Amino acid sequence: MSSPSQAIKQDQSKIRWERYVPVYGFPVVNSFFLGLAALVLVALILTAVRELAGLGPVSGMNDTYGWGIWKTFNVMVLTALGSGAFAVGIAAWVFRRKRMHSLMRMALLTSFLAYACGLLLLGIDAGRPWNFYWMVFPWKWNMHSPLAEVAICMSIYAMIPLAVENIPPVLERLWYFDSRLRPVVSIMERRLHYFFPWIIAAAYLLPGMHQSSLGALMLLAGERVHPLWQTPWLPVLYLGAACFMSFGCVAGTTMLCCLIWKRAMDMDVLDEAARITNWLIFGWLGLRLFDIIFRGALGTAFRFDRFAGVFWLETILISAGGWLLIWSVRKRDPQKMFVGYVLSSFGGMIYRFSPTTLAFRPNPEALYFPATIEVLVSLGFISLGVLGFLIAVKRLAILPAPLQEWYDMASYFRFRRPYIRWTGYFKFGYFGEEESGTAAGSD
Amino acid sequence: MAITRRQLFARVGKGAVPAAVAITVGTDVLKAAEPIPVPSAAVGLLYDATICIGCKACVAACAEANNTDPDTRRDSLHQAPSDLNDLTRNVIKLYKSDDDKEYSFVKRQCMHCLDPACAAGCPFQALHKDPETGIVGWTPEKCIGCRYCTITCPYHIPRFQWAGFNPRVTKCELCRHRLEKGLKPGCTSVCPTGAVIFGPRPVLLLEAKRRIQNHPGRYYQDRIYGERDNGGTQSLYLSHVPFEKLGLPELGPESVPARTLRWQRRFYQYFALPAVLYAGLVQVIRKSVKGHEEEAHEREKQTGLRAQL
Ligand code: SF4
Ligand code: SF4
Ligand code: SF4
Repeated sequence: MSSPSQAIKQDQSKIRWERYVPVYGFPVVNSFFLGLAALVLVALILTAVRELAGLGPVSGMNDTYGWGIWKTFNVMVLTALGSGAFAVGIAAWVFRRKRMHSLMRMALLTSFLAYACGLLLLGIDAGRPWNFYWMVFPWKWNMHSPLAEVAICMSIYAMIPLAVENIPPVLERLWYFDSRLRPVVSIMERRLHYFFPWIIAAAYLLPGMHQSSLGALMLLAGERVHPLWQTPWLPVLYLGAACFMSFGCVAGTTMLCCLIWKRAMDMDVLDEAARITNWLIFGWLGLRLFDIIFRGALGTAFRFDRFAGVFWLETILISAGGWLLIWSVRKRDPQKMFVGYVLSSFGGMIYRFSPTTLAFRPNPEALYFPATIEVLVSLGFISLGVLGFLIAVKRLAILPAPLQEWYDMASYFRFRRPYIRWTGYFKFGYFGEEESGTAAGSD
Repeated sequence: MAITRRQLFARVGKGAVPAAVAITVGTDVLKAAEPIPVPSAAVGLLYDATICIGCKACVAACAEANNTDPDTRRDSLHQAPSDLNDLTRNVIKLYKSDDDKEYSFVKRQCMHCLDPACAAGCPFQALHKDPETGIVGWTPEKCIGCRYCTITCPYHIPRFQWAGFNPRVTKCELCRHRLEKGLKPGCTSVCPTGAVIFGPRPVLLLEAKRRIQNHPGRYYQDRIYGERDNGGTQSLYLSHVPFEKLGLPELGPESVPARTLRWQRRFYQYFALPAVLYAGLVQVIRKSVKGHEEEAHEREKQTGLRAQL
């Protein structure tokens, strides 16, 4: 090991994430952004086509495979990646892992976007969406239906607790935007904080319920789901997969953002996240293996068919990811950590996708393959989420950064972009000045 | 105040937690011991594969009885659907063994299960079992078109209409609109051999048992499919070939929902366990939030920058 890299590594270990700072100095609209916007536009047009023509002409769904990728990928898989607000939040608030708080806003934002886009597509996927209005009459719910549980719980969760949890960065921006807004914003913040414990608790109970109910959905399909996946533990395994996948998504996305927008990484936070993820992964793999052996389904894993192939792909990806994570913590190597997150989340995605599609075998002849329009719509709604993310991180304080970054941002706007008003931050005064009553009085 | 809020919570908690756990674990144990009740006026169909000649008169009659266009999409000439679909509530299929020695027709339509999996999964009770007749019917005003029923039904009966902006779910509803008028179902009224007959479930069971007794060795396992299978069904089957070959899987005496959703149902019984869990979470998080806020304000004093919560 050469000495300069040693120096960098030592330097790196001193970095602490202390404040959420918006990404500044990069324009929101660039060619990538426009490309995504084009995809969204295409998806919206195709959605109109779908509403008029029905599901058959635009998708590969058929009588045997009644569910296509809109439900099985965009909802089942992507909301698992978007369970960060649940998993990271529980680590931070319930188990009091203080370092996890630096990742909280990333978790909340990614969750909100994943859920919002998933719900939109759930509505598009429904054949008779106008009947969703029954949702407002609780006595008409079928309380024991896993699907009712998922539909109701997910909408309530995304629209109330998750949305409310995402308000603070918005209020914060308003506070910096105009000094006349400050009294109002302060009152609203105080109200919000008063109700916070109840909201946060709901934000853990509800996803805990519907992420497990997503697993329970396929219980009713019985033997038609391959025995490597069909188990009474499906709800627990689905929830567990959502936990480690979302940790991977939150930490991985944060690392990626740091790379793209040249932010310093706090290896203490990332190491702790990696350690938690690692525990989750091996706990989950243990439970899965134990369940398969206990039910006597292990034999089917050694047959030479596509089910065994999917099973091994999944297991190898997840365990390789988990192993890379431990290794990266020991060697303090962010690159391996990132790859570890990607592999484990990808394996988890295959797991969440399998019971409904890859391991669902209603009859040997039937096949499902998504149609082009279906894929384009699915991609379009993913792009919508990414668009929202790009706007949010550049306009709101979401990404964690060292304190210095905040001061750098302040001087950037004061000296290099004094004409920009709409960035909000530092329109009036600058850092430290007029910030709060306590701070002004202390010095 | 004699007791603080904390103590109050603790006291309530001491009572509520065991109560919730008891409700969760207890109730369904009792429920599982009972057999599924048969609706008071349960009606059904009895299909005897040994009598059916495969004339498909019932297929045409079913479409007519339900005011549906005949499905001629296969060869644009004959009404010969290969399976149930958005125009077909009733279909006759042929099973032939690999050595061509054994064959049988089978009439497929809804089984009107005593504990229907389709209704157990349907989110807003669009598929609903009538408490008196036991007919599992579909209400268009409550269906969101999620197609969960096409996945949950162990017999793969409900079919979704894939074309059009106002899709329907198609399944046999035992001609309930005809029964109301005092008519018999379309399929049974045209069957030339009496292979499918309509009647109250107990009567059909007696008739089936009589046939088994009169013809020893004729029927597969001397058994009526649907008497106990999948918790019992209202459409009953007699056959000379294994039921599995006719697309009637061996599901065991316990119904699919009871077997698979046991823990799900327990967990959400009266919402007891979720409520207790919620109360516990609030308590823990209140403390965390308080600590976190204090720390944030401490940092605000140190750095002079507004606290970010
Ligand atoms: S056979 Fe299928 S559609 Fe008919 S009642 Fe049973 S579960 Fe429902
Ligand atoms: S498609 Fe309609 S009938 Fe079938 S489960 Fe969904 S809401 Fe119920
Ligand atoms: S009872 Fe009516 S709907 Fe059902 S198969 Fe017979 S004719 Fe068709």
